[in-house]
Amino acid sequence: MAVYKRTYKAYDGPLTSPVWRFLALQRYAFRSVFKSRMLDIAYLGCFVPPLFVLCTLYLNQNASVLGLVGQKAGFIKVDGVFFLNFLTFQGVLAGLLTAFIGPTLVAPDLVNGALSLYMSRPFSRAEYILGKGSVIAAIAGSITLLPTMLMFVVQSSLVGWNWMLDNFYLAGATLLTSAILLSVLTLLGLAMSALVRWRIVAGALILAVFAIGKGFAAMIDNVMRTNNGDYIDLQHLLNAVAADLFHTSPAPDEIPVAAAWATLIAACAVLLLILNRKLRVCEVAG
Amino acid sequence: MIDPHIELEDLRVTLGKREILRGLNLQLRGRTVGLLGPNGAGKSTLISTLLGFWKPSAGTARVMGHDIRTEARQIRALIGYMPENDCFIANMPAISFVRLGAELSGLPAEQALERAHEALFYVGLGEARYRKLGAFSLGMKQMAKLAQAIVHGPKVLILDEPTNGLDPQARTRMIKLILEMRDLGTMHIVVCSHLLRDIEETCEEAVILKAGQIVHYSNLAAERAANCRFVEIETEGDDGTFADAIELLGCVCSVTAGKIRTVLPEGIEIRDIYRLAADRDIQLRRLNYRRDSLEDIFLKAMETREAVSGRL
Repeated sequence: MAVYKRTYKAYDGPLTSPVWRFLALQRYAFRSVFKSRMLDIAYLGCFVPPLFVLCTLYLNQNASVLGLVGQKAGFIKVDGVFFLNFLTFQGVLAGLLTAFIGPTLVAPDLVNGALSLYMSRPFSRAEYILGKGSVIAAIAGSITLLPTMLMFVVQSSLVGWNWMLDNFYLAGATLLTSAILLSVLTLLGLAMSALVRWRIVAGALILAVFAIGKGFAAMIDNVMRTNNGDYIDLQHLLNAVAADLFHTSPAPDEIPVAAAWATLIAACAVLLLILNRKLRVCEVAG
Repeated sequence: MIDPHIELEDLRVTLGKREILRGLNLQLRGRTVGLLGPNGAGKSTLISTLLGFWKPSAGTARVMGHDIRTEARQIRALIGYMPENDCFIANMPAISFVRLGAELSGLPAEQALERAHEALFYVGLGEARYRKLGAFSLGMKQMAKLAQAIVHGPKVLILDEPTNGLDPQARTRMIKLILEMRDLGTMHIVVCSHLLRDIEETCEEAVILKAGQIVHYSNLAAERAANCRFVEIETEGDDGTFADAIELLGCVCSVTAGKIRTVLPEGIEIRDIYRLAADRDIQLRRLNYRRDSLEDIFLKAMETREAVSGRL
């Protein structure tokens, strides 16, 4: 063990780049998030469906194995619908994980008044949000964006480069859909955690935003015989945008894609406003 | 002349509709400066404003020459801040807590860890550095807050109520640390406290705030350096000439409510006063060494209505 002399001296060594300083906060946040064994298990569980789908993709092109069950190679159609369904399923898992992770990121700092410690250093609120948010984005991205892209690469390698060139839009759609999904989840996780400092309630609120939004949307649609209720259903909005990006045929009464984009951007702006309002150092004048 | 480390220029801060800081003008040069004032005087708001938590509504302030309006980030890099409130990152061992602070101030991870160990040893938490902050006593928490404030080697250290809630032993340790850091000469220290004794023991300068204005400035170091001996005398049988006789010895005298207050210069001793009283057949009913304590200064300042402005 190192022996430290009880002395104090000023620091005059090198400093890290301010641009990447948020990564320090991210590292500590990761460590605290993965202290929970339950989260470890849940996170690992989120990789089971991608593993299953990757195996399916492999078997789908393996004529000898398929021959055993009397099927021909390519019996499963791997297209936009296939990718969209997979991404939607993984997106739901990402939402559940966000409800678990989000409240552990900001709420403890607010409860303990730790913001003044962060903000009294050369570290801004934007960097704080970036540092904490990147944890949700990285975890959610690792179970949505990465497996979907991996699927695209595996399918391309199995079927051939022509398939990749013909379906290159799927990679772009995956990237863009994941980007908007991760932005919504990250901001929602942080904002709810900042809004409600009680972890369990904050987690429930994150899920409620999806569930209650869906419930109210259905109610409005049924009572008023319209589809305007879909504007308050975050999941529906995400699906509408993703369906367009993956070139799948929309439902007959689907809301316009541009309106869905605009509503999602507005939702993100509202969440940012909540964060801006809640993440303030409130030193009471004494 | 030494450049001031903190300069306030007609600094005004309005929160809601209420003006909390009302045109503060100040230049601080001392190694340790005490910030005093009753509740709501604006001490914490002033600190928060220097740290960039609040924007001034008018005027400005400079810390080590950097303007708080335009260079808040540079200022924060120079400041170490120990807040008054409990402000712990939950469930974190002390070493991680201090290291995170250092990393956020820009120290590379390895140096941050090294400095965190050093800072914790310095404040006396070396043995407890792997314990979680939640398990710390109040005194230990205060020391951990001090460690995170000094870990990156700040040029200006702001301590908000550093001895709050400490038992006498822990308080003595904290005061000793502040004095040690002052004597190292590597940083300027601003101590914000309700406890006049803390300020008196640690500070070279004291600034008293009241209702968002500076009502008194005191150069405690200069007063101490003057080495004057203040004596308060009560007499019997004095026909009013005893004060004049004392002045003839070379002392400065004032008579209020029958009490003679005087400052004994070099070369004049108490026995000279006794001798003078004996010569004049005057009874000395009471003779106390007495000087204006910071408490006297503070209480007088609280009675003052007009703010002090200009060079302080």
